[in-house]
Amino acid sequence: MSDEKSKWINRLLVLIALTMASVYLFPLYWMFVTSLKTGSEVFATPPALWPEIAQWVNYQDVWQSKNMARYMGNSLFIATGVMLITCLLGTGCAYVLARYRNFWIDVGLFLILMLQVLPASLMVTPLFVGFNQLGLLDYPRIAVILAFSAKTMPFFIVLVRATFMSVPYELEEAALVDGNSRVGAFLFIVLPLARNGILVCAILIFMQAFGEFVYAKSMIQDAQLQPASVGLNTFMGPNTVEWNRIMAYSMMYVLPILGIFILLQRRIVAGLTSGALK
Amino acid sequence: MRALLASLRDGRGFDISLISITMTFLLLFCGVPLIYNAIMSFQEVDIFNLNTFIRPWVGFDNYRALFADATTLPIFYNTLVFVFFSIAGQFLVGFALALFFSLKFSGSTYLRGLFLVSWVMPGLVVGAIWNWILSGDFGILNHVLKYIGVISDNIFWRSDIHFSLWAVIIANIWLGTAFNMILLSVGLAAIPNDIYEAAQLDGANAIQRFRTITLPMMRATIGAVVSLGLIFTLQQFDLFAAITSGGPANSSNVAQYRAWEMSFKEYDFARGATISVLMIGVVMIASIIYVRSTKQEIRG
Repeated sequence: MSDEKSKWINRLLVLIALTMASVYLFPLYWMFVTSLKTGSEVFATPPALWPEIAQWVNYQDVWQSKNMARYMGNSLFIATGVMLITCLLGTGCAYVLARYRNFWIDVGLFLILMLQVLPASLMVTPLFVGFNQLGLLDYPRIAVILAFSAKTMPFFIVLVRATFMSVPYELEEAALVDGNSRVGAFLFIVLPLARNGILVCAILIFMQAFGEFVYAKSMIQDAQLQPASVGLNTFMGPNTVEWNRIMAYSMMYVLPILGIFILLQRRIVAGLTSGALK
Repeated sequence: MRALLASLRDGRGFDISLISITMTFLLLFCGVPLIYNAIMSFQEVDIFNLNTFIRPWVGFDNYRALFADATTLPIFYNTLVFVFFSIAGQFLVGFALALFFSLKFSGSTYLRGLFLVSWVMPGLVVGAIWNWILSGDFGILNHVLKYIGVISDNIFWRSDIHFSLWAVIIANIWLGTAFNMILLSVGLAAIPNDIYEAAQLDGANAIQRFRTITLPMMRATIGAVVSLGLIFTLQQFDLFAAITSGGPANSSNVAQYRAWEMSFKEYDFARGATISVLMIGVVMIASIIYVRSTKQEIRG
């Protein structure tokens, strides 16, 4: 009886959860459905939950007419650059911050936590003026990579530090006793053990940089070098009516991110929660 | 020389070099810009002297001009409304969801994780989707609201000055709810189950248990989540760019968007820097609260 009852409660809870998830994720579904509609279906009343005939041709059309390959290439370039710089510079720092416990480490952590909160839209003014004076804006994608790496670095350090904290210090000590140098112990013992955590954080950084907008919009004037976020902004304009094509653009833009997320969902959630709290 | 190399390989020098490379990078691209920003807010900056370091010093003139401008105070007020209602909405919906998902049932962890997809989406895409959902004549939200009888005429979310700010707030609540929920779930999971069982044996009902156990035990988590919410909300820029561009007539403009607009739409970099300095001050205070509420974590 009780067993039967708990089974039904379980089913009921799953049903409620599924309903809530579908309400919450409806905007994503709406993006998908709109992207498959014809121009007149988009403005039909009442709006249809599924198009008469799915217009997959929208995708091909937008990809070519908006030159999306170029935009996506630039997004990929910027995201890869940001991820590499953040990982190369952030990992070692996170390791040191995890390994010691003293006043100076606390100061460093405090500074990093403070830097984590600086809004990009406020930092972009001095960065733009400064980069302009240094001539860095002649290489606008590099300028965006540097500026955004400085933005993602503190976040990365906080998360990766949590990963390093979970690597037992005894293992490193044992490696040192066995005659490894500090460099050797770090490279061959600690890093491999923390590899998964670092990878997840690197992917999080990549996803953030893939969607970056403020710096790219402000620093990259040349359409040839702009990433997909700026392209979408240009496409939308103030009085747009091409919602099916804009949603097709958005779909193609987020597809890589959605793919990564669905594949690594569990790890991303775990990695994210470990650093932000406890 | 050899001692230095040895230290780099095997001693303190190793730690110091690891940390100082990163710190130098952050100093160059965060610290220096911060100071430069403050300096610019006391200077006269225009297109002609943009490329020189020597610019006329004007003291507090930029600040005076900012507050003499009639649009400034409404924009700061909007910022306050935006921050307050975004955080309140994200937190309440997020907490309700977290409580629901803390009832263990098949697939609860997986379904909960699915919500986080809103958090990894590019802000501009989220803005584009909500721009379309909130569209006046053909938006799905108006259609649903009319269908269930909440409204009889379409609301022009983006172009009506009474609703434009709320259009962005709605999108921002959607965007941030999942993150709030995940963090609050972690806090809920950390409360030992036997406390609840003991209270239940003592005859406490669900509401009493929530008020006397859940809320007090969650204090640190709630503090951290709310201050993180404040930090993220003050960073929100993409949604404004994608939904209303701060308009119409600045009715949905907030300080962080205004600062950018001043610099990159009106090319008044000094004014942009002035707003930035003020807002960075606010953000810093928020982050001190955040750091304090996660202090246990930092002390390890």
